[in-house]
Order: sequence, then structure tokens, then C-alpha cells
Amino acid sequence: MASTDFALPARPRSEFSLVATARIYGGFLRVGFVNTMAYRLRYYTGIVTYFIYVSVYYFIWKAIYSHSVSIEGFDFGQLLTYVAVGWTIRSFYYNNIDQDMAGQVLEGKLAMDLIKPVNTQWMYIAQALGESAFRLTMLTVPTAIVLLLVFPVRKPASVGNFMGFLISVFLSFFLVAGINFAVGTFAVRLKSILGLLRAKYFLLELFSGLLIPISFFPHVFQTMFAYMPFEYISYIPVLIYLGKISGVGILKALGIQIFWVAALVAIGHALWTLSSKQITIQGG
Amino acid sequence: MRLFALYFAQYAKVRLEYKADFFIAFFSSMAATVLGFGFVLVLFTKIPKLQDWSFYEILFLYGFSLIPLGFFNVVSWNLYQFGDLYIIQGKFDRLLLRPVDTLFQVLFEKFRLESLQEVITGIFVVVVAVERLNVPWPAVDYLWFILMVASGALIYLAVFLMLTAVSFWFEDRVGIVPPVFNMLTFGRYPLTIYNVFIQFMLSWIIPFGFASFYPTTHFLGRDTFNIYFYLVPVVAASFFILALFVWNRGVENYSSTGS
Repeated sequence: MASTDFALPARPRSEFSLVATARIYGGFLRVGFVNTMAYRLRYYTGIVTYFIYVSVYYFIWKAIYSHSVSIEGFDFGQLLTYVAVGWTIRSFYYNNIDQDMAGQVLEGKLAMDLIKPVNTQWMYIAQALGESAFRLTMLTVPTAIVLLLVFPVRKPASVGNFMGFLISVFLSFFLVAGINFAVGTFAVRLKSILGLLRAKYFLLELFSGLLIPISFFPHVFQTMFAYMPFEYISYIPVLIYLGKISGVGILKALGIQIFWVAALVAIGHALWTLSSKQITIQGG
Repeated sequence: MRLFALYFAQYAKVRLEYKADFFIAFFSSMAATVLGFGFVLVLFTKIPKLQDWSFYEILFLYGFSLIPLGFFNVVSWNLYQFGDLYIIQGKFDRLLLRPVDTLFQVLFEKFRLESLQEVITGIFVVVVAVERLNVPWPAVDYLWFILMVASGALIYLAVFLMLTAVSFWFEDRVGIVPPVFNMLTFGRYPLTIYNVFIQFMLSWIIPFGFASFYPTTHFLGRDTFNIYFYLVPVVAASFFILALFVWNRGVENYSSTGS
């Protein structure tokens, strides 16, 4: 593959250079983008998939709102926008880092990752970001257009809210990437990680607020979730879009998101250090 | 049948070789299934009914839909990988050499044992729902129940078999399976909440409604859809025969990649 030339840094790692680092991980980003391009046909059906998801929930909520005007401060229009925007941004921030890592373990390629003179965690995140950049153009934008045409989705509350929303969604990507990498480190220990991945998949769908707004949960859960990163993946960005979080609230939300990104990356790093020691014992 | 038992036993031995690993897979996928109920559980803390369906009725519908799906998932593994594994990598040639039906071999070469948790979870939820709802459950319903589960599994098998057979003609995977798979979600809620177009599609084009919704209406004593209920085995058999036909045409059409 022609893209291996970036794998070796020109200078020793101790001599830290921002440009060189950016070049290395930029390379991984590009690989992620190009690899995904090979499967671009799948993204047409991806649009259909997202459309199906939103349709199912559209009909469910429509049936529910035939009895009541407002639930937990959401009217039907807001809730529909909540669902549509939630699924649309998911098509961007979603990634398969954990699954990719499990695949690498099964194929015995993980040892190759270890000998690369780069930070494994950031290598995976950079690749996933390349993939997300691809999804943005091939999946997120077309999905958004289709949903806007079919469903009465509302506009963002204001220009400022929309800007805050975009930044927040960008941070969501890192939250999901951080979580997925941490989960992926277990791939090294377990032989079949698929069950674990499925559990995580459904947990994220529910706890991120993608399926149902967090404010619909019983209070005990809401309090619990406030101390977890999950609601910052979907619930908070969409609240910013809807204008339920505004002004200084947006800055505060973004600040907490950044905190969680840092925390999750740190946790992922620690878990990876532990796991990679184990690989050495097994002899790769 | 004997051959099926042999295939199954052989595979079970392989999986149970790594006991701890199998149990982790089993319980984590069970956790996933339970989390799948989360939406319904949270939703019903805010609303008393979905259309005229109560919480336990929805729970029954959702739980029931898992039972045939679980049985189907046990054998579905190779269907998803069929294009990749059998056509592109050419594994299908090997199957043709053996004196056993190709479909039999494809379905029963690998089992996803942990999917049995869906069956267990589904039955558990259905039992709880029936207890709470106090619906009459005559003895004959046990037989109907088994027949409906079998029909449901057959419907899932037929739909995905047809989609898999497409690989015989088109090697490149456009990925038509995931969207159809995601339509399963439609079948977990009352069909009546959807518009006419989706209702028609879920009944006569991709008949997931016959695998979960129509059986449920009968068990819950909702007589509006009685005709559909008695049609379930007919629909299942018809779609399955159609799927077999498509599959066999595919096998005839098959020419090896030569790899």
C-alpha cells in the first residue's frame, strides 16, 4: 500500500514537533477516508437505514402525541426534530474502533500495531475521524436532506445555537471514539467480543438519549447520567440545536464535553497500556 | 435430522471449548437484549398507553418477536457472510462436492448459540406479560404458540434467504441486508400505528408483521386481525417455498470464481 510512507517519523520521537505529528496522524486520517471509500455503495443503503429508524420513531411518537400536547416540555414538532437530528448526527459520530480492534486481534495483526512508532490510540482515532469525514459527505448530509424533505423538522434555534451544536457534535465524535477504544482494549483479552459490543451498542443508544430524551427517564437515572459522559454524545448537542440550552449554558456544556473527552482518552490510554503488556506475554 | 444433530453437536463442542468465553458472550448479548427493552420501559413511565395498547401488551409483542428471531439468529450467521465467504472466497465449490443439500450445509455449518438467550428472554417476558394481563390462555394456545414461533422463524429465514441468494447473481455487496434487518424494529410495535403503505409492506412484501404482530393480536384476544392470524402459517410456507425456489435458481446459476 502506498500510504505506509508516513508511518515512520522523520525525527526521533523525543524531539517533539507538532508538524511531524500532525503529518503522521493526518496520514492515518487519510487512510480511514480512503478505506471507507471502497465501501461507498453501502452508504446509499445507509441512508435508507437511517430513514427507517427515524420513520419508526416518527410513527411511535405520533401515536403518543395524539393524546397529549406536550410531554416533559417537548411538543411533537420538537420531539420529531429531536429524533431526526439525533439520528442524523449519529451518522457522523458513529465509528467501529472497537470492532476494528477485535478484528485485528482475530487476524493476529494487533502486534503490527504495537511495533508502529505511533500512539495506537490516536492512530485508531485519526483513522475513525477520516471515516467520519467520509460519512459526513456521503451519509450525514444526504440523510439530513432526505429527512428535511419528508418530515417537518424544525430549524435550529439560532445561528449561535447552530454553531454551538456543530462544535458539540464534533466533540461527540471524540467521546464515542474514546469509549470505543476503551471497549476495544478488552478485545485483547476476550476471544469473542461481539456480545460485549452489542451490549455497548444498545447501552449507548439508550443512555446517550438517542432513542428517548434523558428528561423522560426517572429522576434517579437522570441524576446518575449527569455524572456520566453518555448524554453528552447525543442529548446535549440536540438540546443545543433546539435552544433548550442557550447562551452561557452552551459554553458550560462544551466545557464538560471537553472534560469527558480528556477523561475517556486517559482511561483508554491506561487500559491499553495494561492490555498491551498482556499481548507481550502471549507472544502476540 | 440425524445429520443436523451431528452438525449441531460438533459446533457446540467447538464453542464450549472456551467455556468462560462462551458465557461472557451469552450474558453480554443477553444484557444487550434487555437494554433493547429500555425504550419501552422508559416511555411507559410517561404515557399510560400506546394507541390502545397497554404496557404489558407492548411488552408481550416485543417479547414474542424475540422468540422466532432468536431461533432464526442461531442459524443466520452464515447467511450474512455468504457473499464474502462462499461466493467471493469460493467456499461454495466445496459444498457442491458433498452429497448433502447446499442450503443445509450453509445454514448448519456454524451456529450462533448465544442467540438462544433471545429465546429465553422472549419467553420470560411473554410469561410475565401474560400473568399481568390476565388474558385467557386455553391449552390449545400452547400449540398455536409453537406453530406461530415456527412460522415466524420460517418467515425471517425466507426473507433473508432470498436476500442472500442475490449474491449468486451480484457479487458486489450493495448492503441491502442491513436496511431490511433494521425493519425488524417495525414489527415490535403495533402495526396499526403506521400508515397504510408501511402496513401493506410489512404484511405482503417483507412480511415481518406476520412473524410478530398478527400472532400477538390473537394471543392477547384482539379479534380484529383473526383472519391474518390464521394466515400466518400459510404466509410463512409460501414465502419459504418462494425463497427455496430463488435459492435453487441461484445454485443453478452459480459459476465458480475459480479461486
